Amino acid sequence: MFVARSIAADHKDLIHDVSYDFHGRRMATCSSDQSVKVWDKSENGEWHCTASWKTHSGSVWRVTWAHPEFGQVLASCSFDRTAAVWEEIVGESNDKQRGLSHWIKRTTLVDSRTSVTDVKFAPKHMGLMLTTCSADGVVRIYEAPDVMNLSQWSLQHEISCKLSCSCISWNPSSSRAHPPMFAVGSDDSNVTYGGKVQIYEYNENTRKYAKAETLMTVTDAVHDIAFAPNLGRSFHVLAIATKDVRIFKLVPMRKESVSAGPTKFEVQIVAQFDNHNSQVWRVSWNITSTLLASSGDDGCVRLWKANYMDNWKCTGILKGDGSPLTGSSGQPTAMSTVVGSSVQTSQNALNGMTAGRIGKRAPFAPPLRQLTSPKIYQHPAYY
Amino acid sequence: MEKMSRVTTALSSSTVTGRTMFCHLDAPANAISVCRDATQVVVAGRNIFKIYTLEEEQFVEKLNLRVGRKPSLNFSCADVMWHQMEENLLATAATNGAVVTWNLGKPSRNKQDQLFTEHKRTVNKVCFHPTEVYMLLSGSQDGFMKCFDLRKKESVSTFSGQSESVRDVQFSMKDYFTFAASFENGNVQLWDIRRPDRYERMFTAHTGPVFCCDWHPDDRGWLATGGRDKMVKVWDMTTNRAKEVYCVQTIASVARVKWRPERKFHLATCSMMVDHNIYVWDVRRPFIPFATFEEHKDVTTGIVWRHQHDPHFLLSGSKDSTLYQHMFKDATRPVDKANPEGLCFGLFGDLAFAAKESLISSDANKKPYPVGDRRYPIFFFKKPDPTEQFAHVSSALSVFETDLDSNRMDWFVKTAQLYLLSGKPFAELCDHNAKVARELKRPQVSTTWSMLRIMFSDPANLSTPGPNLSKLGTLPLMNSFSMKEMVSGVGTESRLERSKGESRQDNIHLDHSFIFLSENEETEGSEGQAEYMFGDAELDDDDLYSMEQENQAAEEQEYTLPQEAFQLRHEIMDNPSAPEHLQQDKADSPHVSGNEAEVTCLTPIESFSLISISQPLFSPHLPASFFCPIVREMLSYYAEQGDVQMAVSVLIVLGDRIRKEIDDLTQEHWYMSYIDLLQRFELWNVSNEVIKLSTCSAITGLNQTSTTLHVNCSNCKRPMSNKGWICDRCHQCASVCAVCHHVVKGLFVWCQGCSHGGHLEHIMNWLKSSAHCPAGCGHLCEYT
Repeated sequence: MFVARSIAADHKDLIHDVSYDFHGRRMATCSSDQSVKVWDKSENGEWHCTASWKTHSGSVWRVTWAHPEFGQVLASCSFDRTAAVWEEIVGESNDKQRGLSHWIKRTTLVDSRTSVTDVKFAPKHMGLMLTTCSADGVVRIYEAPDVMNLSQWSLQHEISCKLSCSCISWNPSSSRAHPPMFAVGSDDSNVTYGGKVQIYEYNENTRKYAKAETLMTVTDAVHDIAFAPNLGRSFHVLAIATKDVRIFKLVPMRKESVSAGPTKFEVQIVAQFDNHNSQVWRVSWNITSTLLASSGDDGCVRLWKANYMDNWKCTGILKGDGSPLTGSSGQPTAMSTVVGSSVQTSQNALNGMTAGRIGKRAPFAPPLRQLTSPKIYQHPAYY
Repeated sequence: MEKMSRVTTALSSSTVTGRTMFCHLDAPANAISVCRDATQVVVAGRNIFKIYTLEEEQFVEKLNLRVGRKPSLNFSCADVMWHQMEENLLATAATNGAVVTWNLGKPSRNKQDQLFTEHKRTVNKVCFHPTEVYMLLSGSQDGFMKCFDLRKKESVSTFSGQSESVRDVQFSMKDYFTFAASFENGNVQLWDIRRPDRYERMFTAHTGPVFCCDWHPDDRGWLATGGRDKMVKVWDMTTNRAKEVYCVQTIASVARVKWRPERKFHLATCSMMVDHNIYVWDVRRPFIPFATFEEHKDVTTGIVWRHQHDPHFLLSGSKDSTLYQHMFKDATRPVDKANPEGLCFGLFGDLAFAAKESLISSDANKKPYPVGDRRYPIFFFKKPDPTEQFAHVSSALSVFETDLDSNRMDWFVKTAQLYLLSGKPFAELCDHNAKVARELKRPQVSTTWSMLRIMFSDPANLSTPGPNLSKLGTLPLMNSFSMKEMVSGVGTESRLERSKGESRQDNIHLDHSFIFLSENEETEGSEGQAEYMFGDAELDDDDLYSMEQENQAAEEQEYTLPQEAFQLRHEIMDNPSAPEHLQQDKADSPHVSGNEAEVTCLTPIESFSLISISQPLFSPHLPASFFCPIVREMLSYYAEQGDVQMAVSVLIVLGDRIRKEIDDLTQEHWYMSYIDLLQRFELWNVSNEVIKLSTCSAITGLNQTSTTLHVNCSNCKRPMSNKGWICDRCHQCASVCAVCHHVVKGLFVWCQGCSHGGHLEHIMNWLKSSAHCPAGCGHLCEYT
């Protein structure tokens, strides 16, 4: 069950991205109004805007946090063809008292000649690396050789993807068995161009990124892409937001020899849902990668979860039209609707780990139970 | 009268015809202009001066005005304008300072009409009066504007801006006598054509040069200006002071700005450098272009709407030597690609969601006019504007928080904190962890711990079984299942062999299901499941019973001797409590594990599920190594399911019992993932414990990086030497607590500003009452 807490964001145009930090206590939003806002969660769970500043001279498409080991660092990318790295300055007691913090620009990355559509930090174990992708189909990987100096970034790789890029996602796996890998999605709407998701892998020998895989079945414009947190898995799970929600599993095949060449993957499509009935804009994994959230043009957030058979099902729909009383905390205005007959008992749904994992060969359906507690909040009757 | 009818026909024809098309020019264009009936366009540049007719499908070159073998600099045009009243009349601004007029009605090849060479430097702009045939205005780099009467040989008046170079001059649409001029120093001046001595009004519009200005075609007194500061500003000139009504931030310096016909709030801009695109903005939504034309490969130098009443055709010339006609319907709409939603999962299972308000309110439970939506009440009574939808957008941001039990990550934090990974006998660790899991309502995990305990504990030394197990053992259901199992024992044996791998996992689920069953006795239909459990399970109920009995007997003993030294788990040594023969088995196990498992699994005589298989060895209990493959599968299963916590915890608790079964890379991966998770939840102590207990060199190494501390002596403030806590210089102990003045052993905290510090507790207490340093140095200490 979810409780919606509406936040008066006060952005003057569309909000394009929301991003939690590593510890889940801070949030950054970016908007077409060229600003980024940072929100901090107070003790009582309220979100307070502690910084808001103009970051670019165009729409800010994405904002993302660096690993806190590198400091409180944000990266943003924009229609104005740049990406920027921001660092929070602490110690200004004056501002602190007013509940504001100060962010300063550490660098502007100006290599792109078109709109920079996504920016992501590489997984921490790779060091302080930043990846951008742009509308002209170029992925750029920057590295800050000195993590203490955030104003020096050197362009390490420039990879041309041929197709206009819209989103990028790093494989978060820290295993040494998995070479660095990222996936790029394209929002090129021409269906005939084939696979809109490409996967690139670092080759230790050539010291370059090379294409390892193209998901040929994804032919429509891709708006978002997200690798699931790896957490010790041997395979990778990739969620894709296109005209529907898709979940792919990439199982690395054993290499016979240690010779060069990218890893071959066995690509399986695990799930495909068109429940949004429209373009899907965003996908996001929870931290244990047991839940996938997607949002589409229908204005709903849908939650997806695998059962013990690795069958993905919709386990909830969250309506986005929050509370009419803005700012009132804990007002249960949004509801969670549990869909389908496989209603999870509250015990089973407890943590996403135990639910439904009864046994692989179980020939019986999971026991049905009525929801005992009236946890489904009905929408207030103001319409 | 005749003119009127022409306008309408031209309009009606141009609304339906044409397509996006282009033609190559011989040279880069500097400016373009259309004749009033929108059938011809003139392109002027340093090396080009041509007229093209706009046909349905293409541009057709009609006239080259650059004639003569050796064209003079007068042909080198910075600007061109076609008269909007007189269709044969053109004016150009030459880079040598000349203002030239051209009469297309001339019979000769050279159409040059008049030549004014009064400006001393490049003329940046020429402008015909919108209604007066003979009045021409020019603005030059030399800072002067001149007004020409085309019937006279020289200018009729000169306007001195008293500032820098003039970049643009534009006659007002509204006011017959007024024109605006923009300057390189950021000023805009308003002049009355009758008063050349002094400007009517001046204001600073931009920081840096104002490259262009354009009056709104409807006589609203709006002036748009564009500057090098990348901004387009719309000024309301009707008030006493020019008021900025809109401001559009573009991504590059603005070279040209042109209001879009018939669309009150739209204007087109192009840039002077870097950016080759043409943008059409809705000034009410100044952040994102309404439309973009991306055809040009070099800087766009001239833009003009083809017809003054048709918003669908835009002509542009560029440095890339092309002339384009853009159809509005072919424009890219950046908004379509701009995603209207943001979504992110938080660490604690909360979900931040930002979405365009129209999306989330457009569903069934849409409120007609909610209280909060009174922003634009005027528009309710106006006829709907098609661009309205574009202009007024906003996003709603909300955070969906999970309530207490479902999906939250509390279980993870609690589990991490409460699990015991070392320091107690193996069985106790398992029991404890099983209990933790059970209390957190994770029966499957709990049972796994209990099973592990049974699998790997030396039966002789079995301590109390977990409550779960005793429950299992005493359940009456159990017997019936096992009896069934006995009957189908033959089947089971093959199954056991066949599904050695996969059934291990089942086994784990089954435990879960079994407990579940015991809670819901009505779900009898699944008893087949339970069969599996005991069919494939490594411990049959006899075994369980025997344990149970043993335990009942040994219970007191167990409690009197709760922590026998030999039971202490030590992850470096092999399990010391294992009996001799098991030890040997174990020693063999790494290289023969597969086969050996097959063999040893058949050992227990009591194991009736295996009763029909030959039994080469008679051993009263299953050796622990028998379970290793199962446990390995189990750990992998947990890891693949995202519960790396379980995998790592078991790995640590089992230590050597399982470690050799799992390759180092995987172990390292699990450890890394788990440590990363723990650090996300700021469980530093647990993370540190895990690092310490891990056996992977790569992991233990994590604690050995960045461990150098540079310390100043608290007495003399000098850097300490590497050895010890006695300062070389003042020969005093540097680690004295500033509060109690004793030498600190253990946790020592100190302020990085003044080098003073002391016992953690003392300093914490001190800071509750005072922010100053307890040493009395006056420093406002900061402990981070």
